[in-house]
Amino acid sequence: MKELIFRLIKERKWITMRKRIAPIAIFLAAAVSFAVATRGQTKPAAPGTEYLVTTGEAGRAGGRLVVSLRAEPKTLNPVTATDNPSKEVIWRLMADLVHINRFSQRTEPALAKSWKVSSDGLRYTLKLRRGLRFSDGHPVSADDVLFSFQVYLDEKVHAPQRDLLIVGGKPVGIRKLDADTVVFELSQPYGVGERLFDGFAILPRHLLESAYNEGKLTQSWGLNTAPEQIAGLGPFRLKEYVAGQRLVLERNPYYWKADQKETALPYLSELVFLFVPSEDAQVIRFQAGETDVISRVNAQNFAVLAGQQQARGYAMQDIGPGLEYNFLFFNLNDLSGKSLPQLARKQAWFRDVKFRQAVSAAIDRDSIVRLVYQGRATPLWGNVTPGNKLWGNASLPHPQRSLDRARSLLQAAGFSWKGDGALVDSGGQAVEFTIVSNSSNAERMKMATIIQDDLKQLGMRVQIVALEFRALLARLFDSKDYEACVLGLGSGDADPNADMNVWLSSGPQHLWNPGQTQPATPWEADLDRLMKQQLVAQKAAERKKLYDRVQQIVAENQPMVFLVSPNVLVGAKNGLGNFHPAILDHYTLWNVEELFWRGK
Amino acid sequence: MRYLAQRLVRCLILLLGVSLLTFFFLELAPGNYFDEMRLNPQISSGTVAALRAQYGLERSLPVRYFRWLKSVLQGDFGYSFAYNSPAAPLLWVRAKNTLLLTVTAMLLAWLLAVPLGVWSSAHKGRALDRITSGATTGLLAVPDLLFALGFLLLAVRTGWFPTGGIVSVGFETLPFWEKVKDAAAHLTLPVVVLVLGTLPVLVRHVRAAMIEVLDSAFLRASRGHGIPRQRLLFRYALPAAANPLISLFGFSVATLLSAALLVEVVMSWPGLGPFLVEAILARDIYLVIDAVLLSTLFLVLGNFFADLLLYWADQRIRAE
Repeated sequence: MKELIFRLIKERKWITMRKRIAPIAIFLAAAVSFAVATRGQTKPAAPGTEYLVTTGEAGRAGGRLVVSLRAEPKTLNPVTATDNPSKEVIWRLMADLVHINRFSQRTEPALAKSWKVSSDGLRYTLKLRRGLRFSDGHPVSADDVLFSFQVYLDEKVHAPQRDLLIVGGKPVGIRKLDADTVVFELSQPYGVGERLFDGFAILPRHLLESAYNEGKLTQSWGLNTAPEQIAGLGPFRLKEYVAGQRLVLERNPYYWKADQKETALPYLSELVFLFVPSEDAQVIRFQAGETDVISRVNAQNFAVLAGQQQARGYAMQDIGPGLEYNFLFFNLNDLSGKSLPQLARKQAWFRDVKFRQAVSAAIDRDSIVRLVYQGRATPLWGNVTPGNKLWGNASLPHPQRSLDRARSLLQAAGFSWKGDGALVDSGGQAVEFTIVSNSSNAERMKMATIIQDDLKQLGMRVQIVALEFRALLARLFDSKDYEACVLGLGSGDADPNADMNVWLSSGPQHLWNPGQTQPATPWEADLDRLMKQQLVAQKAAERKKLYDRVQQIVAENQPMVFLVSPNVLVGAKNGLGNFHPAILDHYTLWNVEELFWRGK
Repeated sequence: MRYLAQRLVRCLILLLGVSLLTFFFLELAPGNYFDEMRLNPQISSGTVAALRAQYGLERSLPVRYFRWLKSVLQGDFGYSFAYNSPAAPLLWVRAKNTLLLTVTAMLLAWLLAVPLGVWSSAHKGRALDRITSGATTGLLAVPDLLFALGFLLLAVRTGWFPTGGIVSVGFETLPFWEKVKDAAAHLTLPVVVLVLGTLPVLVRHVRAAMIEVLDSAFLRASRGHGIPRQRLLFRYALPAAANPLISLFGFSVATLLSAALLVEVVMSWPGLGPFLVEAILARDIYLVIDAVLLSTLFLVLGNFFADLLLYWADQRIRAE
């Protein structure tokens, strides 16, 4: 508090913290959902900094939070980062214009205090907060926003995020209206709306422009960059990096959020990331009290940690299903030109929707939940998990496991059983196939084993092959030499657009038959049409209706036989205030600026 | 001098051969660094292909090999796709941690093995020798991994030792002696695991070499001259038994290094081990090649050092 007032006086700025009285309906909704999830509204502040005032519990400043990362971050450059550890650090250093609240899954103002969408949905006018400064004290202007998007859109930079800025086949256009206002122009309406701006860190032009002009931007902001050469708009800034050991962030004194008591955030003085090479090592260090927070724990480790939580002074939380969905899929690729006759023969079974439906009916999802995840997962019959609050289709059927129904479906598809119970197709060939999965994922291997056992009861002979992850990808995408596969996908966002490349028949992640030039089946053509329609639909209700239909088609045709969605399991030491883990990445640190130590 | 030059040339040929083989085997392994992006629905296949081309992965094996050789000559030792930076500084900082661990463990193992082996040989066939033999057999039978897990369990249960890392958070702010204590506490468990893994082999070799020498005529004569036992063992017998042990010392550098890589992964020691595992899984090929070369170099240097020791210890070799 003192620090904030001192700084404001020093900078001859003042903020007027007048609270808006929200309409009663909104207030009630917020109270029912979760007080912390609803974020604060911008307080008008003239002529000083326009802080975003949060609504979390007011905490106390100081202290250090130690968390472990399963691998070392590879870069601090938000333009090139693709790995999770790097992103986990970078998003504590950086901020975006509009942010998706990881708890409510809705957008909220961030560096842009407000935005306006033109009636045709083609123009977004974003107003920046006044008085913003990078963590090195340099003022932020619309030029920094322009520079950032110029970098992301530059084909020579190869930023992985570039694809998100291509709407209707054309890159998003950006221009500056005045020092605090930028306009984004789209070639066609874009259903995701302002969600588009989440995940694009605003870069400091004053530090990166020369590297960009010299074509060296992708080499900038490596881990050995001096802390004073890195500046962002996130709650922390770089203090120290020790290769192989840790990365220490310190509080950003220029951060643009404050709590209701007008205390500048973040509360914590330091955030330390320890590099720990495996989940088991993470668990051990958390158990020993060497780290304060743990996330992405598997069910076995969760059980171990939960058993000792009282004695060791921490609390574990199961926050329910996340966005990850696991599934079995069959190879439906066009194999003409490939010499895989055995596989081509089996594809006749895989292409039959009744066969896939029979497999789905025979799989005991409850057993998977119980045996693989110790009850900490949710059975799935569609691609949208129960954790996705906004987009799930509640009308999808959740049929119980039924071997009888599976047998009827197989019979209707021309299959029959020999005397020894073995299933044979209409040509008398025994139904045998192999399921591949990645050996490094123990849960998927166990799921494959349970499926093997379930399908044995239908007379199918299933083999399981564990492959190293990249070897598996080479089979799926290059040689296409596989029969069935157990895999999982997890989006970073709840919006359907995050999975666009999964459902479009031309998409590279349309796993069962990726990169089609023309949809191979009528239902895939329907998926294409619906996904493209929801992409440009501007009303949320209209998009929801279209995406509900997508889920229905997928559930009926079973190109993926959905299995389970694992719960998100996390833990934190007792006394960590405002700890409200979310099911979206990054589960535990999404509100790190609000975290504080009680009584420390 | 000529001997040194010959060794150096042989060493270079060996390193070239190892690098070629590693390159070749990595080429056989399916997939490349950028493949993982192919499962990210928000990244198009065009972007992945562009990144592959940007880092030269589409070029032929000989072209990539010679580009890597060129970067070795420039001191970069290739390029890490993951870290987007030259490989040499990334490796060096972790190799220093691995060296700290292995050198400490090796010194401690030899300091314990020599007196234990000598003492055991001097009491050949007696109860104490049998106990030592039994203990070394037992230790040989237990894999390093089990030691590592056992000690980790001890650390978690008791809180006597840290469960990983090389120093504590906030190490910089500690007074000097606290720093020493903290570093020693972190070093203790990985070193103990490595020593327990190496010690039995060394003790058995020392014992065997000593028994052979103790039965020799010149030692029986020395004993007859009334030379005190301690002097006899350490002044006369041990130097005579040293040659095979010095050779073993050269090899123990390599074995200890490979054991250290495993222990580092299990005990979160920030050395080459976890780094190499991650690089292999991610197909960060130049890091893998460099790490393999570094291991080869440690082996060669260990043997070279052993040869120098032999040269110093054995007059016959000097005469040759």
